[in-house]
Amino acid sequence: MKRKKMIWYILLAVLLVLAVSAAYIYKEYNRTYEDTAEIKPDYSITAASLLKEFEMDEPASNKKYWDKVILVDGTVKDLAKDDRGLYSVILGDTASMSSVRCNMDSIHNKEASAVKKGDQLSMKGICTGFNADELLGSDVILVRCAIYSKE
Amino acid sequence: MKNLVLLACATFIFTTSSFSQKYFTKNGKINFDATAASSPEKIEGINRSVTCVVDTKTGNMQFAVLMKGFEFERALMEEHFNENYIESDKFPKAEFKGAITGNEKVNYAKEGTYGVKVKGKLTMHGETKDVETDGKLIIQGGKINATAEFIVPLSDFKVSIPGLVADKVSKTAKISVACALEPLKG
Repeated sequence: MKRKKMIWYILLAVLLVLAVSAAYIYKEYNRTYEDTAEIKPDYSITAASLLKEFEMDEPASNKKYWDKVILVDGTVKDLAKDDRGLYSVILGDTASMSSVRCNMDSIHNKEASAVKKGDQLSMKGICTGFNADELLGSDVILVRCAIYSKE
Repeated sequence: MKNLVLLACATFIFTTSSFSQKYFTKNGKINFDATAASSPEKIEGINRSVTCVVDTKTGNMQFAVLMKGFEFERALMEEHFNENYIESDKFPKAEFKGAITGNEKVNYAKEGTYGVKVKGKLTMHGETKDVETDGKLIIQGGKINATAEFIVPLSDFKVSIPGLVADKVSKTAKISVACALEPLKG
């Protein structure tokens, strides 16, 4: 009788572990990206300073900024729209070929439709690195961006 | 005399602006598709910050892309792509350097669709391999729409796919490049 009870307990424990791990795997598998707008930025910097940092020391800047959420202040020098209607807000100095390119997150894409050249903006996005090019100018590229509003 | 100088200036401006020989974009798109035939879901990442330059005179072309900039449907896919397969911390960039073969047959001054061959070296995951593929150039309104598709075995680039996900992740990747190129001024 006692043995039977023990087997039941063990069976119950095993089932519980299985259920918990199944739930975890399911949740992990279907995990979506966190909304950038809701994440507290790791760094807050101007577009010009960010570019300068990468130009001076790319490996160190990669280490510092890769996969981090950055809040970047700057002047909009251009706005690009791709074939799926997704915007990229390009921050920087119009006299330079280099810029901070912010690819809008699809859920925040609408926010960029009202952006105009010359606007002063704060963009929040995740840093994917620095694409250096002598001919075309070098860019810091942020993905999953949202326009930062203070309220 | 004054008119002649003006004419010379006008001709100079006209020729340099209408026959710019380099075209570029920083908004090019690359789809990285490694969906296995048996997979129930798409294993596909999209990068929309591809830098591409084409020299219409020589046919030379190159593109560069940051590996961390590929966006996937699921966060887990993106993490696996960056951490386990592509190792983007170690190899942050991929690039292609090559040329359009038979470039002289393309009339860049005339609108139309031209089928071309693209040949060159693709560097990804720290490995450089010769690749060749068919591409298409659509010349319209002073811009060039360039598209090409590369089918590459991931083993060529020393990307190993663990047995556990072999039914989902294909052994070959389809890399589709699409760039709307504009004349480079200056």
